[in-house]
Amino acid sequence: MFRLLSKKLRRWQILSSKDQTQTKPDRSPVYLSKNLEGNLQILREVLGQSSDVIIREMKISSDSNVDAAVIYIDGMVDRNLLNRDILQPLMFNLQLIKDHIRQNHSSLIDFIKSSVLTVGQITGTEDIDRVISDVLKGHTAILVEGVNQTLLIDAKGWETRGIEQTTNEVSIRGPKDSFTETLRTNTTLLRRKIRDPRLTFQSLQIGERSKTDVAVVYIKGITPDSLIEEINQRLKRIDADAVLDSSYIEQFIEDNPISLFPTIGYTERPDVTAAKILEGRAAILVDGSPMALTMPFLFIEGFQNPEDYYAHPFFASLIRWVRLLGFILSIYLPGVFVSLKAFHPELFPTPLLVSVAGAREGLPFPVVLEALLMLMLFEVLREAGLRMPRSLGQAVSIVGALVIGQAAVSAGLVGAPMVIVIAATAIASFLVVPFADIGALLRLLMTIVAGFLGLFGMIIVQLEILSYLAGLRSLGVPYLSPVAPLNIRGLKDTFLRAPLWAMDSRPASLNSPDMRRQSPDQMPQVPKTESNQGGNQ
Amino acid sequence: MFLEQGKISNLQLSVLITGFVLGSSVIIPPGQGAGHDAWIAVALGLMEGLLIAWIFTALARQFEYKTIIEINSLVYGKILGKCISVLFIWYLFHLGALVLDNYARFFKLEIYPNTPKTVLFLLLMLVCASTVGRGIEVLARCSVILVPLTILLIPVDTLLLIPHIDLNDLMPILDVPSEKLLWASQGAASFPFAETVAFLMVLAFIDKPEKGPSAVSRGLLIAGFFLIMAVARNAAVLGPMAVITNYPSYLMAQVIDIGDILTRFEVVVGITLITMGFIKISILFYGTVLGLAQVFNLSSYRPIILPVGILMVILALTNVGNTLELFEFAYKSYPIYAVPFQIGIPLVTLIVAKLRRLPQTGGDQV
Amino acid sequence: MKREPCFRIYLAIILVIILVCLSGCWDSEELNKISIVSGLGWDLDPDTGEVTLTYQSIIPSEIKSTSGMDGGGEQKGGSALRAIQLDQDTGASPYDVLNRFTQHGSRIPFYQHTQVYVFGKDGAQKGIYGFLDTQARNPVSRPNALIVVSEKKASDILGIQDGMENIQAFGMAAEIKLSAQFSKYPAVTRLDFQQRILSKTTAPIAPIVGIAEEISSQGEKVKRLRVMGTAVFKEDRMIGQLNERESSGLLWTINKIKKGFVIIPEASLEIVRAKGEIVPELQGDQIIITIEIDEESNLVEYTGHQDLTSDILQELEKGQAKEIESQVMAAVEKSFALDADVFGFGEAVHRKYKKEWKDLQSRWDEIYPNIEVVVKAKTHLNEIGDVRKALLKD
Repeated sequence: MFRLLSKKLRRWQILSSKDQTQTKPDRSPVYLSKNLEGNLQILREVLGQSSDVIIREMKISSDSNVDAAVIYIDGMVDRNLLNRDILQPLMFNLQLIKDHIRQNHSSLIDFIKSSVLTVGQITGTEDIDRVISDVLKGHTAILVEGVNQTLLIDAKGWETRGIEQTTNEVSIRGPKDSFTETLRTNTTLLRRKIRDPRLTFQSLQIGERSKTDVAVVYIKGITPDSLIEEINQRLKRIDADAVLDSSYIEQFIEDNPISLFPTIGYTERPDVTAAKILEGRAAILVDGSPMALTMPFLFIEGFQNPEDYYAHPFFASLIRWVRLLGFILSIYLPGVFVSLKAFHPELFPTPLLVSVAGAREGLPFPVVLEALLMLMLFEVLREAGLRMPRSLGQAVSIVGALVIGQAAVSAGLVGAPMVIVIAATAIASFLVVPFADIGALLRLLMTIVAGFLGLFGMIIVQLEILSYLAGLRSLGVPYLSPVAPLNIRGLKDTFLRAPLWAMDSRPASLNSPDMRRQSPDQMPQVPKTESNQGGNQ
Repeated sequence: MFLEQGKISNLQLSVLITGFVLGSSVIIPPGQGAGHDAWIAVALGLMEGLLIAWIFTALARQFEYKTIIEINSLVYGKILGKCISVLFIWYLFHLGALVLDNYARFFKLEIYPNTPKTVLFLLLMLVCASTVGRGIEVLARCSVILVPLTILLIPVDTLLLIPHIDLNDLMPILDVPSEKLLWASQGAASFPFAETVAFLMVLAFIDKPEKGPSAVSRGLLIAGFFLIMAVARNAAVLGPMAVITNYPSYLMAQVIDIGDILTRFEVVVGITLITMGFIKISILFYGTVLGLAQVFNLSSYRPIILPVGILMVILALTNVGNTLELFEFAYKSYPIYAVPFQIGIPLVTLIVAKLRRLPQTGGDQV
Repeated sequence: MKREPCFRIYLAIILVIILVCLSGCWDSEELNKISIVSGLGWDLDPDTGEVTLTYQSIIPSEIKSTSGMDGGGEQKGGSALRAIQLDQDTGASPYDVLNRFTQHGSRIPFYQHTQVYVFGKDGAQKGIYGFLDTQARNPVSRPNALIVVSEKKASDILGIQDGMENIQAFGMAAEIKLSAQFSKYPAVTRLDFQQRILSKTTAPIAPIVGIAEEISSQGEKVKRLRVMGTAVFKEDRMIGQLNERESSGLLWTINKIKKGFVIIPEASLEIVRAKGEIVPELQGDQIIITIEIDEESNLVEYTGHQDLTSDILQELEKGQAKEIESQVMAAVEKSFALDADVFGFGEAVHRKYKKEWKDLQSRWDEIYPNIEVVVKAKTHLNEIGDVRKALLKD
């Protein structure tokens, strides 16, 4: 039965992959002709009658027979640049061009490139597909009558969001800039943090329709080559319609396609990205997404916060434990409470049991249902608070807290202890952001299981989750490392955050070819001379 | 070797062995026949267990860490070798069913009196099956997290019980007749220490073979230390009750009471002990399915996990009628029943291999 | 390896299906379906041999209302039982009683929070084995619940409103624990009791609780609980009791003295540290037991009108030692009279002379009253308080 199922699944997989290869068109490139009108005709056909495509025809010589056309997409080019450095030189140098044509007609296009236009990046091409794709990217194309070549000028310029403060990952002491939607800005932000010549941005385009630029970022010699190769392979396999956000990429390249836990991290902070790259990870930047993906992403990273490295080591370690505790509480607390109430009332200290039993009197629903009801209400409130326009969010929380909390208790629908438990759970669930989503799922699962089998069921599910996690890998790296498989040196940055001078090697689980991060004996010491002086005096 | 690509480190092997040994022995402490001298019986049993471990690691080393199934085929030839392998696999399978039964009975008696045992069996079995399906590597990784956490319970319990400990209960030392003590220590050796013979299926996958024997004995010693601590503490806290109660560790957890606050968590203790059982059952289960796959030349052991698991559950359901029978088997018959598997097969195989000078040919065939 | 994800999904699905479909909530007991028993009384009719169990259960809704409005609780408290309810039934054995109880009770009794088991004295003299077996066999009761013998019927004791506690049985447990803390009477848990029964020679003990009448501030007579002595068992039958002095002597010997006072003429001393040890010695057939007691105390009361000198302190120490020795001797004499080894002399001999023990054990009952006991108390006065000289001299 097993085999049957998997066979069917595999056959289906093969079939679907065949379909994909068939749909892919295999056209030979089309080249430009010398006829300007013909070329424009083709371009008009391809680019359609879109209102934002501007085809500006002009005469560029005092001889009326030399026509030219400038093609660009309105809104994607820098208008100042276009007017000042492209249109103006072309149309004001009529005499110059005329003189040139008289002398040597064939290299008119080179002449324009070298002597007329005053812009930086110009390339020439004959491939009409390339012209189209570049124009769509925001380049400006110049076509000249009688020339089967076109000039592509990089005069991109559009409205963008500036670099703003981080919104999701709040920074207290660290840098406050965050990525924007523009790939180039983002690479600049990274380049400014790491000036190593080996920092590499390797770009490629993904998306049949969206043609999104994607850059894999890594430092040669620190990120293992095998990792880069693996990422490239996975990226190349993607055959998607569009990539609207980095999360699209994430879902396509994860190790386990139906993973419960995130195996690829994301951040909006350049400093975090830089730190991860320096640890030996790779990052992926996607044009149009203000989030960088980092990989491999290990379980322990969920509990590491960039601020840990800017704060005092002892405090950072304490906070890590608080996060761990919060995570555990957020998953187990409702389940434990339910199983204690329904299965193991002997576990309550006697006075607590008496008051809990007092609160339980006269409640209509079994305790599991009560817990599930409150959990669902919490999820509803959270979602409503997130999606509501900000001005309404306040109202939601008031309604939620007062009406649902207070009124449900006084109406005798839910016990007060349950409200306390769910509230504590809800707060704890916000401590570990990367696992907040999966936490909500596990919480529900644990509560349901607890309702059926008490603590025994919970521990069975827990064992299953643990074994699932132990089997999970993120780009080949075991998800639970450095704890399992155990790596003693790697533990410096897990449950405790060692001082920066002590973290002299990169995380061992990442297999970086260059393990040495800094020289090992940098413990700050009291200058000896001063103390000697003090002794002498 | 193609059945399992994973490798486990020697540390993981030690931890696995520790978890395996403490497996069901934390709920049914060994050496009860010796009364309050049980800890001496356990210590003697540990010695014997180390000796047996030495035998089977020597055997594994002789054959450059193949599994016992492959070794048997090399030593005794195809047919006889496979017969002996099947016997060995039966032992693993039966022991797995016993451990499963142990745990299910414990939970049914103490915590879930109305829940059908089948449900407890199936749930335990499923979680073990899914882990075994993920391979020995995953099991080893789980053990590295689970075993230290649950082992901590023993010293923590002991600390919390200090107000109740009466060392007089351990006196006089060597109170039982020596034949009784020896019998109890043979019992302690056969359950749980020498049961590590099951690792003949796992030793093949360690990454530093030259340090295999020390990893095995380290695991045994750590487990032995904590087991002796637990057994001695049981006797010191419960006095004569330690001998007549079925699950002294559980009764003892009920006694814990620090200022009316740290109290009443015996269910937590009991349920946490499941993790050790999980490791023990998984190892035995893994040995069984891997062994079967090797005997029958299957290309993967995964398809037979569920059938074998269900068979194990059926055996566990039917093999004893009540807890008394289980205890009688564990304390009276098992110390003899286990000898051929724990000592017989490894020792005879080792001797035959030495006589036939098999290491050289074995080395060539690799 | 490619099959793996599929395999996992399959397993996960099975797991979920089994969890959800197969498992009902077999052992799920909602809190409003159980009655939490705080104290359990056991009486045996000596004539018919019938067992009467008295369940003292907590009424959770009462607790809720009293904690909600403080004033209301106070007013009710004076008159009657506050948050407990008593149920009673009779049958041939404890489970027979439970069996009958289901005919008129609305909730299943839940024993995990029971703090005291009260045995009626009349019944205890007949033997409490049936009850002990039930408790040890079924994992529903806790080993550290207290065993108490009541002077009257257990059902009477459980009905007395007493102390500051809402729940009477908890108050009783606290009272016994306090008396044990101040070294008056032993607090005996079920586990202790079982351990003593299992040891073939040592006699089980348990505190005795009785009813004392006091005059309240309003001038009415009020019934109060009071720990009154120590019951001595032989196997499972109660055969006698120790009074206050003898109980103290017992506690000195078995090293259970924690705090408390030694009262001698003209002075009271607060015990700081105490240690009792039983040292057996076998001389031919004669067993000599030396009870060594080492005690330190502070002076808390001195009514002699003299300035304190080291001579006086020495005298106080001597007086204290004498008092302790006489308490211990009183206990020893009583135990000889009852022929019950309450101190565990037998186990002490066993520990030291394990070879001879086999022979001794079988005739311990004959040997026991003939044991020679020597008490050696060593006392030391640590502190004298804030004044050295008497306020009022002779």
